[in-house]
Amino acid sequence: MYEYGHFQFAFAVQAGNGFRQKETRCCFLVIAQIGKASMLVQNLLNGLMSGWIYILVALGLTLVLSIVGIVQFAHGEVYMVGAYIVYYFCVSAGLNFFLSLLISILCTGLLGIILERFFLRPFRDDMEGAIITTIALILILQTAVVATAGVSYKDVPSPIQGVLTLLGARLSWERLITILISIALVSGLLIFINKTRIGQAMIAVSEDRSAAALMGLNVNRVSSVAMFLGCALAAAAGGLTGTIFVLTPFMGGFALMKGIEVIILGGLGSISGTIIGGLILGLVDGLVTPLLSVQIAGIIELTVIILILLFRPQGLLGHE
Amino acid sequence: MSKRKLIKRFSYKVIPFILLFVPLFITQAYVLHLLIMIAINVVLASSLRFVAISGQFSLVHAGMVSIGAYTSTLLVMKLGLSFWAALPLAGLLAMIIALLVGYPFVRLKGIYFTMVTLFLTEFIRLTAEQWRSLTGGVSGIIAIPRPNAVIIPGLLNASFASKTDFYYLALIMVAVTLWVLYAIESSRIGMTFLSIQQSDSLAESLGVNSSGFRVLAFSLGCFFAGIAGAFYSHYLSAITPASFGFLLSIYVFIYMVVGGMQRFSGPIIGACVLTLIPEFARGFKEYEPFVFAAILLLVIFFLRGGLVSLPQSLSYYIKKRWSHA
Amino acid sequence: MVGLIGPNGAGKTTVFNLLTGFLRPTRGRVLLDGKDITSQKPHSIAKKGIVRTFQATNLFSNFSVLQNIIAACYLKSKVNFWEAMLHTPSSCKKEEDVLNRALEIMRFVGLDAVKDQPARSLPHGYKRILGIAVSMAADPQLLLLDEPLSGMNAEEANTAVALIRRIWEQGTTVLLIEHNMRAAMNLCQRIIVLEMGSKIAEGSPEEVRANKEVIQAYLGTGKRAT
Repeated sequence: MYEYGHFQFAFAVQAGNGFRQKETRCCFLVIAQIGKASMLVQNLLNGLMSGWIYILVALGLTLVLSIVGIVQFAHGEVYMVGAYIVYYFCVSAGLNFFLSLLISILCTGLLGIILERFFLRPFRDDMEGAIITTIALILILQTAVVATAGVSYKDVPSPIQGVLTLLGARLSWERLITILISIALVSGLLIFINKTRIGQAMIAVSEDRSAAALMGLNVNRVSSVAMFLGCALAAAAGGLTGTIFVLTPFMGGFALMKGIEVIILGGLGSISGTIIGGLILGLVDGLVTPLLSVQIAGIIELTVIILILLFRPQGLLGHE
Repeated sequence: MSKRKLIKRFSYKVIPFILLFVPLFITQAYVLHLLIMIAINVVLASSLRFVAISGQFSLVHAGMVSIGAYTSTLLVMKLGLSFWAALPLAGLLAMIIALLVGYPFVRLKGIYFTMVTLFLTEFIRLTAEQWRSLTGGVSGIIAIPRPNAVIIPGLLNASFASKTDFYYLALIMVAVTLWVLYAIESSRIGMTFLSIQQSDSLAESLGVNSSGFRVLAFSLGCFFAGIAGAFYSHYLSAITPASFGFLLSIYVFIYMVVGGMQRFSGPIIGACVLTLIPEFARGFKEYEPFVFAAILLLVIFFLRGGLVSLPQSLSYYIKKRWSHA
Repeated sequence: MVGLIGPNGAGKTTVFNLLTGFLRPTRGRVLLDGKDITSQKPHSIAKKGIVRTFQATNLFSNFSVLQNIIAACYLKSKVNFWEAMLHTPSSCKKEEDVLNRALEIMRFVGLDAVKDQPARSLPHGYKRILGIAVSMAADPQLLLLDEPLSGMNAEEANTAVALIRRIWEQGTTVLLIEHNMRAAMNLCQRIIVLEMGSKIAEGSPEEVRANKEVIQAYLGTGKRAT
């Protein structure tokens, strides 16, 4: 079962004071308070934070798509696995949150390398096969987590308590740190791509795989690196999300959808497009959801995405 | 060649015969329920394949099932129509919506078409959740009435109070669906679909309106999805938007691929086998998706033609072994 | 028969694409019998009687040779949707006619022996001949052949040239893109030469052969690059 609205449900609940919560899984009815400036700033912050999480997920997805050549439908599950690894090390093993995050990033990256080698590489030019194999991966990863951790909601305690008060709005340090870490990770990725030889190799492979191979680049190794980075980013996103929202084994589908939407919105092949697209999406979620509803935010976004696919497939900044 | 013809003739005559008499021997409600679910899945998988033979992988089937289900339910409960009128109308509405979105959609190639159909499914689900006044929102609709009784004095008394009546209705639904799909596919229209799948530029240069035919395949496939949805809602008597999420689309896709897309009988076999798997996985319900995943991987790595190509692959493999000996 | 020749990149295939609706022109019009067919979809143009072949081998790869030709025969044989679906006697008769015509074409073209083989398993030369046969089966008024002889050995090329000549003799107007100069000069009464998107010569094969600009376009001017 995919729980699409999980993220936004928790989102709406945490959007500020005075909201009544309903405990049932599928009911996202929230009464919104319109208009207060502090509420607006808070929603903006939540939107920005969501946006950066979406950017992390989308960048990971884009890396795999342009370099490994496959739409990695199990990317959401990788995000989820990353979150659960953080939970395990942080809660069960009692390690420091940031250390757990680092371990999760590394482990998930390595998992990604294994997945790419055995499950993705054979289907590089085979769309039908790629769809099936990634669906199989979704089932495997999800079930593995359900079997080991169960379906009940898990909670990762936040590493930094406390709030910053700005213009009457209470901005939790947690969310600010999440944004900062995301920005740091994305910057790190950009530096890596632009300044290292492997990064440049990745750009070459993404433009033309056969030409890159003919030039002597080890395409398989580049693919592995891309997959490592892609899954690492997803794991980071999952781990950061875990401190703010609850974890369920079914949170992956939502992340995947958002990732694909960001890529389409921002444009395939454009990193700046992905960043802008992610921020736009996050802000829409952050502002529309408390005001109207999770469903309306989704409907607006999907309408725009579908229209983009039909009439401006290169998105905002893409080049294809 | 003649062996295959023999098998075909056997299946066409004997299997329907057996199916007709099943309720005489099997009265457990649960077994009948299973057969009915298989029937629904056969309709869904076959109609999805119909879209696939024109070269497009659609993931909007769940959304169309949803439209069919809600349409039929609302026509019966809010407008007082008879189920027998609501059922075809539900299919028709799904088909009309497919026609409307189809024209822009079919211009997209490959994975983009699949993606946009996935988004449409989500869109439909969110709309069903949001439009509370119409659809009952997230909690859906319950107490959907049974199909209106069909009473022919002395001959037939079907009040749909028991599963048996639903079983026969499901059988009729499957028979009609398969007959229509097969009739079209075995005609030159089917040849045209296959030609578009292989090379739409060549087909266009030979006068085939490839977009038009793709829309045709898409809408007809969605028509039957709508019909299945209408049946489903009056059978289970309760529907929620969550029952028609993209996971359902994915499962139908899996039935089709695992069964085998090259042959008409592929999705039928896929639906039968995969609907039954959860039954045998009863003991380890948690691990059931593992079984699905294992089957998917086996098919994708070793048996691309799907289960329906198993006899062929086995005989080829055996022949190879024998010739070495 | 008109030939369209020119060095690589001259735009010959682009002309075909523009004529048949695969590409939309930014300027200018395409007229068929005086009627404007610019910007129409390829399938409507095909229905008006213009059929083209493709530079790169383009066949229905999973279909057998026979099925490929049958698919092309559908252009001339119209069957109503409902008749087709219900397999009415009249539509079955039409299918039989199509089958017979397809068998005849295959025999004529010489692919009879491989009629049930999947098209993808044919050797390259046979695939090109099948491509010509397919376009012939569509029975066009105007046939645009895009480098039909490419990749063929001498024997296959002779078969193909005889085939093209026969098609032309049966009344189909043919526009031929070819790099094989001997075939082009033999088959065509008029030749148009393109270079870098513009027409640089037009005339009989002898005239074109002697034209200085044409020779320059193909062989260069003999001056060294500085």
